[in-house]
Amino acid sequence: MLSIVFHKRRRLVRRLFFNHEQVRTMSRVKRRTTHPPYWHVLKNNQRQDEKISSDNLRFVREVIQDKYKNKSPIKGSDLDIEKKEWDPKTKRSGVIARNIGVQHMWEKDGKKVVCTVLHVLDNHVIRYVPPEEYAKSIIGAKVFRNRKPLGCLVVGAEAANPDRFTRQYCSLFNEVGLLPKKRLARFIVTPNAVLPPCTPLTAGHFVVGQAVDVYGKTIDYGFQGVVKRWGFKGGPASHGATKFHRRGGTIGTGRDKARVWPGQKMPGHMGSERRFCRGLKIVRINMKYNVIYVKGTVPGPTNSIVQIFDTLLPRRKFTEAPPHPTYFPPEDGTLPQEDIWDSNMHVFGSPSIPV
Amino acid sequence: MLRRAVLQTFRQGLAQSFFKRNAVSLSETTVTHQPIETSDEADEKSVSKQKPGDESGNTVVVAPPEFRFMYPEFLPDPAMERRNRLKEKLERIDMLQRRSVVEIPEFYTGSVMAVTVADANSPNKFARFVGICIQRGGSGLRAWFILRNVVDKQGVEILYEMYCPLIQKIEVLRLERRLDESLLYLRDALPEYSTFPLDMEPERRLNNSVVPINPLKVKLRPRPWLERWERQNLQGVEDLNLPQRFYDKAEKVAKPWEKYDLMLQYRKTIPAEEQEKIFADVHSQLQQQEFKRKIRRRRGIDNEQ
Repeated sequence: MLSIVFHKRRRLVRRLFFNHEQVRTMSRVKRRTTHPPYWHVLKNNQRQDEKISSDNLRFVREVIQDKYKNKSPIKGSDLDIEKKEWDPKTKRSGVIARNIGVQHMWEKDGKKVVCTVLHVLDNHVIRYVPPEEYAKSIIGAKVFRNRKPLGCLVVGAEAANPDRFTRQYCSLFNEVGLLPKKRLARFIVTPNAVLPPCTPLTAGHFVVGQAVDVYGKTIDYGFQGVVKRWGFKGGPASHGATKFHRRGGTIGTGRDKARVWPGQKMPGHMGSERRFCRGLKIVRINMKYNVIYVKGTVPGPTNSIVQIFDTLLPRRKFTEAPPHPTYFPPEDGTLPQEDIWDSNMHVFGSPSIPV
Repeated sequence: MLRRAVLQTFRQGLAQSFFKRNAVSLSETTVTHQPIETSDEADEKSVSKQKPGDESGNTVVVAPPEFRFMYPEFLPDPAMERRNRLKEKLERIDMLQRRSVVEIPEFYTGSVMAVTVADANSPNKFARFVGICIQRGGSGLRAWFILRNVVDKQGVEILYEMYCPLIQKIEVLRLERRLDESLLYLRDALPEYSTFPLDMEPERRLNNSVVPINPLKVKLRPRPWLERWERQNLQGVEDLNLPQRFYDKAEKVAKPWEKYDLMLQYRKTIPAEEQEKIFADVHSQLQQQEFKRKIRRRRGIDNEQ
């Protein structure tokens, strides 16, 4: 490799060589598919034109209501959670939320802060996969190839009418007895943060002031040219430039290797990729509407689904115990505080900042 | 979708905002009365303005239609990809919270206003600026307006964010409207049209119920200008006296079909049904705040006496 052979001379010679090796391997990775992985069950129903009478339709609805009768809100004492202590190495569950937009807020010194509003949907834990079993699965084997395996919590969000899903997909929720969810997600948890199935997860799972990582799929820009996709400068707008305003220009030398290197930056599909935004600070939680305000922006367009979980960044992790394994509203009837703000933020109902 | 009748009132509302000139002598800057009502009259009217009761027998309180001109920032950005009802609702709650602390009065482009802002760098920690509002925009908590004044022969424009907590006070010294929605041409006008004394007193209006429209025609400086004003169909500017080629080019470049484009208007505005819902939501809270402020003001006057 060029970089190793010349490493002693690199300090004398300026970096003239572009690391093609890394780009080459990454350019071969397939980053997007239009279909789910082959081990997933078929999810959405093939809509057939069922000419069903209104009486039968009503009956079907009654059957669905009977099957998924509305249960009373689950309290912490109902579920048999073994009281396990929190320690700094615990990994808690995450939460599925929808990015509903961006709002401007101000800090106590008057500095404006752009905050993303995340609406925590009706999350329920679907099942828990213990570490030994998860390490044998396809994804688990890759994730825990060289480290100690951890468990996996499957969480579902956004209940929907079972009519739109296939029977195999609805059967995933039979054990729990919940309405099938539109969206499922996996969260890696340590065994001491396990939650039993049917546990609801709300915005109270997080603490104001903590750092979170948000995973989402970036905005889909479609097929884009080289200027927007890679930030090329293109060509001159005038001075006689013939048909060379937003093109890439040269794509190789001709001497060395005498071909185009794999990974050469060219026009192509841009966006719709998995990305993580790390270490975003939570500045406000609204418990009534289950909404989290996070400082900064998250990947993905407005109204897209994202996953939020405690940060991996070592210096921003918890020093004190968070609601472990998750938050339950107090059972003695006292209502929790509706709107919790970070100490650094200016609350809108409070007087103007005098400086 | 859009109800025909409501669409018509909509377009009337739009037409009113692009006001057509009356037969008023141009030498005098007399103000004409237009049926745009202020918050006071609107409040009185709103009590009576109730939809004929629906089947349940409950009367539905509806905000007066002028609200969409008085408080345009309560309407969200019409781009459908970025709309979310829950987020808009939460933002409105925050806006009303902020309004309960600071009075953000009704104003329009062309009104002369004074804004007091907390400023660490100024000697008495507060900076007060007086100017004419030349443009306003944004929706929700991002709403802003630009004030322009000429200070020591230097034109100064300041953009204020309406809901910024550093703003201590917003006063409207002269509430009036102009012939255009955007007065950016004041940058190319003679400085006297943008000059307002920094110690200007709030003016009392002769007739409290309507917002007057000032039919002033502004004189521009000779070219070069910052923008091609002849292409913008400005009402509040005196005859530009340009060579004919400018007007010919303006005609070539013009898009006269846009005024017939219903879908374009639809995409740029929030549907009338939604507007009604939003303002009905907001109306009662604003009324309460106004009421409390009146009481405070009266108490203040009594205390002084």
